[in-house]
Amino acid sequence: MNITTLKTHALPALLAGTGRQPLSFAGDLVELASGDAANAALNALSLTAQALRFERPLPPETFNAEPEIHDDRHILPDPMRRPLIRLLKEKRTSDDLELALAWAFGRSKVRPHPFDLPRIDAFVRAHAEHLGLTAQHWAARENDSTAQTQSYFEAEALDETTWAKASLAQRANFIADRRKEDAAAARALVEAIWAQENAEARVRLLMALETGLNVSDQPFLEGLAKDRAPRVRSLAQRFLARITGNAAESPALKACLERIRRSTTGLLKKRTTLALELPATVKEHEAKGWIRKTFGEVSCDELARALELTESALIEAAAKDENLLLALALMATQDRRLDLLEEIAGGQLKDAWEQLGRCGVQDLGLMPVEERLRWAEILIRPYSAKPPASYSAWSWLHRSLEGPVPELLMEPIIRSSRWITGLLEEQKAGSEWMELLAAVCPISLRPLLRTQLESLDAPLTMTALPLLDILESLKKVGHHEQ
Amino acid sequence: MALSHNNVEALAPDQSSLDAARKLLKAASWPALASNGTGLIWGECQGSGSTPYRVVVSEVDAGYKCSCPSRKFPCKHSLALMWLRADGKLTFAVATVPAWVNDWVSRRRGPSAASSASAENGSKASIKATGSAIPEIKPDPKAEARSAAARERNSREREDAVLAGLDDLDLWISDQLDRGLAGFAAQSGPVCRVIAQRLVDAKASGLAARLEGLPARLFSLPEAVRPAAAIQELGLIHLLVAAYRRLNEGQDALPSGLKADVRQAIGWALTRESLLADPDATRTRARWRVVAALSEVQADRLRRLETWLWRETEQEAPRFAVLIDFVPVATGAASSGYSVGDRIDAELVFYPSALPLRAQIAQSFSGAESSEDALALPDRRLQDAYQSYERAMIRQPWLDVWPVSMTGARLRRHGSQLFLCDSDEASAPIALALKSAQYSLATPLLSFAKLDAIGLWDGYYLNLCWVQTELGRWVNV
Repeated sequence: MNITTLKTHALPALLAGTGRQPLSFAGDLVELASGDAANAALNALSLTAQALRFERPLPPETFNAEPEIHDDRHILPDPMRRPLIRLLKEKRTSDDLELALAWAFGRSKVRPHPFDLPRIDAFVRAHAEHLGLTAQHWAARENDSTAQTQSYFEAEALDETTWAKASLAQRANFIADRRKEDAAAARALVEAIWAQENAEARVRLLMALETGLNVSDQPFLEGLAKDRAPRVRSLAQRFLARITGNAAESPALKACLERIRRSTTGLLKKRTTLALELPATVKEHEAKGWIRKTFGEVSCDELARALELTESALIEAAAKDENLLLALALMATQDRRLDLLEEIAGGQLKDAWEQLGRCGVQDLGLMPVEERLRWAEILIRPYSAKPPASYSAWSWLHRSLEGPVPELLMEPIIRSSRWITGLLEEQKAGSEWMELLAAVCPISLRPLLRTQLESLDAPLTMTALPLLDILESLKKVGHHEQ
Repeated sequence: MALSHNNVEALAPDQSSLDAARKLLKAASWPALASNGTGLIWGECQGSGSTPYRVVVSEVDAGYKCSCPSRKFPCKHSLALMWLRADGKLTFAVATVPAWVNDWVSRRRGPSAASSASAENGSKASIKATGSAIPEIKPDPKAEARSAAARERNSREREDAVLAGLDDLDLWISDQLDRGLAGFAAQSGPVCRVIAQRLVDAKASGLAARLEGLPARLFSLPEAVRPAAAIQELGLIHLLVAAYRRLNEGQDALPSGLKADVRQAIGWALTRESLLADPDATRTRARWRVVAALSEVQADRLRRLETWLWRETEQEAPRFAVLIDFVPVATGAASSGYSVGDRIDAELVFYPSALPLRAQIAQSFSGAESSEDALALPDRRLQDAYQSYERAMIRQPWLDVWPVSMTGARLRRHGSQLFLCDSDEASAPIALALKSAQYSLATPLLSFAKLDAIGLWDGYYLNLCWVQTELGRWVNV
């Protein structure tokens, strides 16, 4: 009796049913029937079972080809792996904690351990661009077996042959950098891939062309008048207006001018006064959003010229209208005109930090770190040593800076425990506040903050202290790398 | 064992218990915290009542006891005490073990009972120490004979009941064969439940559990494989029945290990006490590493906790061992207290078997120590590892799960299915499919050309438990 006999004679009968297809005890199977006739079928069952159990598991004919990813980043040290997973799995952690970690990974050029990627999947998917090539591959992988092989690049490794395969943020940054060196060549790169991009990508790439905008861009921008995406058309029109010097034709500027009322005041010296009239349909709580939307696409220079005022005069004329000052602060930030912002925040709009915070997250675009810190200092300075105890304001600043806040802000509140104590007692602040403080703390002040946090009850610092540990560890590994 | 946050996480029955424990991490909640310096810590936690709850934890094996009425195990107080110990921020004063702690230690059945209790022998109350003579009780020969006869009678009655149940089972399997096994899986739920209940009545609880779990096992497989799997499962059951019947008729001279396997598979359980008292049982003192900790809820609402151990010390003894515990699901306990990677120095006593695998800890010589060391896995291709499974099946044909270790393997993907293969293309083609539940967790291993691994093969799927790579250890947790 052998396996073949069992599989050809016994197996079909066992599957179909011996009532329908009786077992034929022919050939080698005769010995089964001769032994114990009553149990012959059961014995055949047991023997067939054993025959099947000894079948070896054969591999499929083909296997998928796995991409080779050369990720040169250092891996997060082992002692920090469990705390990282624990932090990211903690249900009550804030988005600020995740952002602080992602940005720290990006800055220090460290990556999570590949084995941890499935355990922190949601975090990796949300912040893959900061976590290195392996994480990007992980985030982009599809459960579908037909997932296409894709290429992943570190921002520094991008060139004109590979840039189109990188993530959108990396591509936009690459184009902006390339524009500084050779504006025409950068535009040619964008033109080459333009037709295949979706609306979001087209907007981002077009925004990158703002760097080094010049007359030679005009034909390309004119061609965008029929683009399917309204945002692309509007942005192209704005750029065109800037190139041709006919800014007044910009629809965004027109929309702003329609809402600004101009008057003159003063008995002896006539002064121009400007006031912003919100549309009747915009409710109070929607005002900040409307201001951002309306003034977001106009520059201070354009508005001043349209109103036939200098930029300083424009700020002076808007001094009594908080909403217009806020609009000017938004425009000054967008134009990277920190001198104008200083004039606004240092003058009438002392709470520019909180006001801007209510308009939504500020995209500081390609602003370098030092400039971002200066921008934040301008907003912080009017508060002196008493920053607002508003979680949303701090969180907004953190997200806008994409990193720690200036020492100017943190040092006074860490050196004296009074501010944090007040926060706990008056605001009933919980662990999320401590977490945020750990997330925004500048590197140099972390030891001081740790001392402060360690004096608090453990439940308050359950996530803040491990976050500090991981951020420190990332800094060390990153420093070692340099 | 130095308690760690990982232990606390692993032991916690759910997230809410951890959250509740976190709130007790204030020094103010613990009027008393102490330790005996040799692995026992205890404390009093101020709850809402006037009397604080008394909590004790054994660091040796993460055993615990709390006087609170919570129905979660461990409760938030026990978790908080372990957490405080892991944090190391609060001081545990070294103190004499109070009576209530001693009482718990002396009543413990776990592996740490011996070591913890022996550490406290000096202060423990002893009847002998009272000096009074204990009157010697003379055994009554007549009473002993009566009870032996009663035991014999009960055993015989049970044997008869089991044999009658096996006759029913044969008939049931014959009925299934008559109908054909191609469609058996689809209707297996109700039909298996009925025969399982009859086998419970017949006191063949092992077979009953096997049949009760059969539908779940079949449905965990791809539809195309289910008919063949049904043949294998029912064929094995008949094989067991036939072996037991022959044993009972005294026809077969099966090796003693295999006899024990057959009886255990039918439902003749061996208690821990009997096993420890058995002078012939295989005993091995060695350093063991925890390579897998599995938890599975059974149909009878018991959670089966398996702790798989790898013997590190080179000696003639089984290479693998598995500790199996059963706890009611309602308690919420989901961990045996050991974490993957832990190293223990212990004497294991193995249940008699043709393939000694299941064991009990007879004595612990040290607490579990967490270790990141790699295992020195013997140089063995996947093909050789698979041959060890085949040899094991020859020795015990109804083998369920077999631990395999291999070196130089490689993980590969076909669609959304992962396979472990030999990295050496010249080897005979063999590929062990991984459970689909491991797809996401094991995917990062695809990028390694060579893996040294330990897994549990159940004939259909490999449960990858431990993998050593150039980037360190991967575990299935």
